Amino acid sequence: MLTYIARRLLLLPVVLFGVSIFIFGVMSFLSPYELVSTYIKSPEELKNQSLDALVEKYGLNDPWHLRYIRWLGNVLHGNLGYSESANMYVLDAIKQRFPASLELALFAVVPVVFGGIWLGVVSAVHHNRLLDHATRIFAIIGWSLPSFVAGILALMFFYGYLGWFPPGRLSAWAHEIIASGGFRQYTGMNTIDAILNWNWPIFWDAVRHLVAPTITLAWLWWAFILRITRSSMLDVLNKDYVTTARAKGLPERLVINRHAKRNAMIPVTTVAGLMVLGLLGGMAITETVFDYKGIGLLTVQGAQQLDYTLVLGTALFYGVLLVIGNLVVDVLYAIIDPRVRLE
Amino acid sequence: MVTKKLLRNPISMLGLIILLGFVILAVFAPWIAPTPERYKDEPYRIPRYGYRATPTPPSSEHPFGLTQGQHDIFYGIVWGTRTAFRVGILVAGISCLIGVVVGSISAYVGGRVDEFLMRVVDIFMSFPFIIAAIVVTSVFGKSLTNVMVALIFFSWMNYARLIRGNILQVKQEEYVMAARASGVSHFKIILRHLLPNSIFPVLIQASMSLGSVVLTVAGLSFLGLGAEPGYADWGQMLSFARNWLMGTPGNPLAYWYVVAYPAAAIVLFVLAWNLIGDAFRDILDPRIQA
Repeated sequence: MLTYIARRLLLLPVVLFGVSIFIFGVMSFLSPYELVSTYIKSPEELKNQSLDALVEKYGLNDPWHLRYIRWLGNVLHGNLGYSESANMYVLDAIKQRFPASLELALFAVVPVVFGGIWLGVVSAVHHNRLLDHATRIFAIIGWSLPSFVAGILALMFFYGYLGWFPPGRLSAWAHEIIASGGFRQYTGMNTIDAILNWNWPIFWDAVRHLVAPTITLAWLWWAFILRITRSSMLDVLNKDYVTTARAKGLPERLVINRHAKRNAMIPVTTVAGLMVLGLLGGMAITETVFDYKGIGLLTVQGAQQLDYTLVLGTALFYGVLLVIGNLVVDVLYAIIDPRVRLE
Repeated sequence: MVTKKLLRNPISMLGLIILLGFVILAVFAPWIAPTPERYKDEPYRIPRYGYRATPTPPSSEHPFGLTQGQHDIFYGIVWGTRTAFRVGILVAGISCLIGVVVGSISAYVGGRVDEFLMRVVDIFMSFPFIIAAIVVTSVFGKSLTNVMVALIFFSWMNYARLIRGNILQVKQEEYVMAARASGVSHFKIILRHLLPNSIFPVLIQASMSLGSVVLTVAGLSFLGLGAEPGYADWGQMLSFARNWLMGTPGNPLAYWYVVAYPAAAIVLFVLAWNLIGDAFRDILDPRIQA
């Protein structure tokens, strides 16, 4: 298994190289003057020097391979430029916003993985019966209700009509407590910090703001995982080893849990990689709908104001996240499927 | 056989009927929602009946009401159907074409070229499309064309993989060997022998992807990164609705019409494609029938 993981690790730089080439390629359509903002190390630089001097200083008129190497060096040192729209360094903006998105993703992934797999198994076991048809309709609706429509409807009903789940990340009073200094921010994730501070009102407030975006983000992937689990389970249930297990008199529960389910999980793990990709993309829309101040909303607002410095920086960050996410999925895959380890 | 099964299955039948409804809307748009005289040159601009920010409820004159800035919702929905089909067909068609070209070269030439092209595919596939589209629009500016270009750029890879796999299978057939032995040119072998025998699943996939393409573009327009303001586009109409989710005191659903109609149009359109696609998969996948 170690060689397998090592081989996957070797692929990382290749993918990162590709992502960096894409972003650098897009950047090369901007003029040197427009690019200055992605290089400067502090906003004061703009006040004291002319643009021409800055273009000269950062070598923005050099041939492209020199610029690429210099840009890469900059990025590796964590200098992603200064964002006008966020009024801070891109790296700082990412650091500030990322915990919020991570929190949302964690809340979304847990019900998706456990609920979706469980329902998929159940509907395969009840193949072509009422429950199976019900989950099928549920899944089709899930696929057809895009997150921005689902989010808007959820906001209109749960906030506008019932007044239960407000948009944003926290209520104003909770913001004040957090900013007051008595509340220590360990992780930046409000629910976890609230538990660590033993502050239950803030915990509940954070959860109240998380419910609607979580459902919106998870809904589609729930339907997806459910369908994949179902069809892979149906496939496995026809296999000889399942028949053997039944023939030797094992109780049905053990046949499903020990023999069928474990093997049915293999294709599910492969689509988990897709899910990581989808959740990261879905974050942009969900956070925008609910005004949830995470990295997705940061990117979208940056793009709306054509703040390419910010967008390019966050895009690079997304690239790194994805590569890590895929690596985790690959390792899981190797743990679940012994055949991968032997290759 | 496939068509017969598709017509007999009630689920796919429902999908086909909804889709037919949208085709009729798109084709007869100028008669269903005639363009007012002063907008004759730009039929895709939604006509405005005033400049007030607050939406106006449905009336006999404007059956679906007026959204913020007094854009006619009915007109926007009807002409938005044309936008949806145009975007879907162009993006699915062009990215399918690129995918087929790259995939067939990769499979036919093989060796290092194949290895290189497939790594390129991997890299393209490992980036979230929405983020890529956001990057492209923030650098090149917001417009429907830029969104479409970005989408094409990031959706040809699936087709390339699919056709590559199919051609690798067909390549081993004897009639291909025979064509090669008798000195037929490479180009002709790909065009006459390999593609006709491997392109069918790719075409199905491309037509099935129409729904998701329309969805993605609507999503980007919703984020304010797609169509220019006032253009007949469902996603943008829904983004207008975002300011009016709260209603008035005592009547929380006062502005339901600015949300309901664009949302219904998007959901029905995508639902139709998914219903057909779901039935298609069941018909074509012998594993599930067992």
